[in-house]
Amino acid sequence: MAASVTGLLKPWTPRVLLVRWSRYNPYYLEPEPRKEVYHIPETELTPEQKEERELKSVRPIKAATNSVTSSVFNDPVLSKFVNMMMKDGDKIIAKGIITQTLENMKRKQVEKYHKAPEVKKAEIECNPYVIFHQALENCKPVIGLASIQKGGKFYQVPIPLTDNRRRFLAMKWMITECRDNKHRRTLMYEKLSQELLAAFSKEGNVVKRKHELHKMAESNRAYAHYRWW
Amino acid sequence: MAYLLPSLPYPTSFANTVYILFFYCIIDCMFVYSMCNSVCVVAQVRPLHGSGCGQQQEAVGMETRPETVSIFRTQENDPACQSEQHLGQYYTVPASHFHTVFPHGLPPRYQQQVKTFNEGCVMVRQPALELISHLKRADYINPTLRYLLYGVKGSGKTMSLCHAVHYCSTQGWLVLHIPDAHLWVKNCKELLPSSYHASRFDQPIQASNWLRNFRTTNEHFLSKIKLRQRYVWTKRESTEEGRPLGELVDMGVSRVKSSSDVVGAVLKELRLQAGGTEGGFRLAVAVDGVNGLWGRTTLKKEDKSPVAPEELTLVHNLRKMINNDWCGGAVIATLSQTGSLYAPSSAYLPQELLGEEGFDSMDPFIPVPVSLYSEKEFESCYLYYLDHIHFHHWLQHPHSQTEEGKKELIFLSNRNPSVLERLCAFL
Repeated sequence: MAASVTGLLKPWTPRVLLVRWSRYNPYYLEPEPRKEVYHIPETELTPEQKEERELKSVRPIKAATNSVTSSVFNDPVLSKFVNMMMKDGDKIIAKGIITQTLENMKRKQVEKYHKAPEVKKAEIECNPYVIFHQALENCKPVIGLASIQKGGKFYQVPIPLTDNRRRFLAMKWMITECRDNKHRRTLMYEKLSQELLAAFSKEGNVVKRKHELHKMAESNRAYAHYRWW
Repeated sequence: MAYLLPSLPYPTSFANTVYILFFYCIIDCMFVYSMCNSVCVVAQVRPLHGSGCGQQQEAVGMETRPETVSIFRTQENDPACQSEQHLGQYYTVPASHFHTVFPHGLPPRYQQQVKTFNEGCVMVRQPALELISHLKRADYINPTLRYLLYGVKGSGKTMSLCHAVHYCSTQGWLVLHIPDAHLWVKNCKELLPSSYHASRFDQPIQASNWLRNFRTTNEHFLSKIKLRQRYVWTKRESTEEGRPLGELVDMGVSRVKSSSDVVGAVLKELRLQAGGTEGGFRLAVAVDGVNGLWGRTTLKKEDKSPVAPEELTLVHNLRKMINNDWCGGAVIATLSQTGSLYAPSSAYLPQELLGEEGFDSMDPFIPVPVSLYSEKEFESCYLYYLDHIHFHHWLQHPHSQTEEGKKELIFLSNRNPSVLERLCAFL
């Protein structure tokens, strides 16, 4: 539908420019935040890229959202985690907690590294980003359960999960675990760093929860044929 | 096992040809990360530093250190011997001195960094060098000179102060380091009316803490300095003339109620005896956040009326110390907006932060501006955080080790030392 509407519209810029609004006229193009795209010299552009550039010079472009950066330190998974931690739209506090968490993890690992004997040094991972990603990977469930109604009763049926759903579940479990099941007086970054380090070495409550989900799915194998998709 | 380090093709950048050669033995079971001269050596080593500065050192069968390390580190750990050629380089405060010279007084984030890295490295910067050169050349017969470090937030004033304090310590001065004058004018749970003077207030906890740290820093002076006056604390307790200062300090630490008065007595004694010819020692008064002594406090009396700073014993005595009516030492002070009360966050100049009263008391002083990192200093700091040979493993993000990442760090931090430190902490 968008394509046909686009064809009918004539080139124009509205009198009132829309920003901070996610519903745009389909005529608007997406912004390009990556720096590498603009550094390609004229000669090396493919015909499609040349066409795209010409199009961009005539069409209006949507305003970039706040979460989009051209920074080299930009990490989409981390941004998603920050958004999930955010309460009442306060991204500054959420981002602050995450940076403190990363710093805390790095400090703990570096101190552990300095104390470890020579042999063990190579195994200790000091990069907080690697630890974060690996911990999330370790928390992602492979198979999920859905509540499906058959003959008046609801059965927990094992179903495959999409990548996004798996990532969402891992992050959600991590955050709820830290908010609910820890000591009241510890700060969030401390709780998060402990939980992430535990998940990195496949221990801790979040990984346990993932295993329990897998066990439930395994025990409900018989109902797998209730799934019709 | 000697660690083989590759030598680099380009020549060393130093004009003076001092070849510093080291052992770098890694012994599996007893590798100690001690805080001193991080290229440290566990066994079979001759002492690397004598009393002279910049001595030529040789050892047999050595590996040459690659020159990249010497760009941001220097082996000159004695502040007295540091000069312009060491600008921008990091020197290590020896581990043995660290806890005696700096029991308090270092910024909290720096203390965390020291704990993580297992070494305390300070950058040699222009303001500190200027201050130290003034201290070297000053005439201590004349009344005390007052130095005031000022600059924007996070530019390195406290660290420059600590560098100067380290210098004074190594030269055998008596150091009176007040870590933050703002701590004495806010957040005081116990405010006792003073027994000595009716309208003043005592702060026992702050005073006894400070005395404890003072005792750690100046152990060797406590037995040498004798009191010149008799002090009466209560009907039954008094300290006689001629007793060592250590006794007074111990009394202040144990009898918390009279600790503020003990602080006053200690300051008075030191002021009288500092320039003296017979016992002569030099006194360095280092005050961080000196703008807290003039201005307002957040403390309240029992009838909810505000307490003025003059009504606090500690502040009253410290103000007398900062006056230049004594000789035989120096007063080094730092302005600080961070802990200050009722001061706007954009204020950093002496006139703005000290106020009229403060400026008139401090006048005349020698202003020492502390600026943000220059290009060379930024390079040095970046290389320090990147340092993998000493196993800092601090800058972990793969992109932070590239040129792009470095440019981004410059942009984000604007070369501000504390902002850069916070950025590199989570990268």
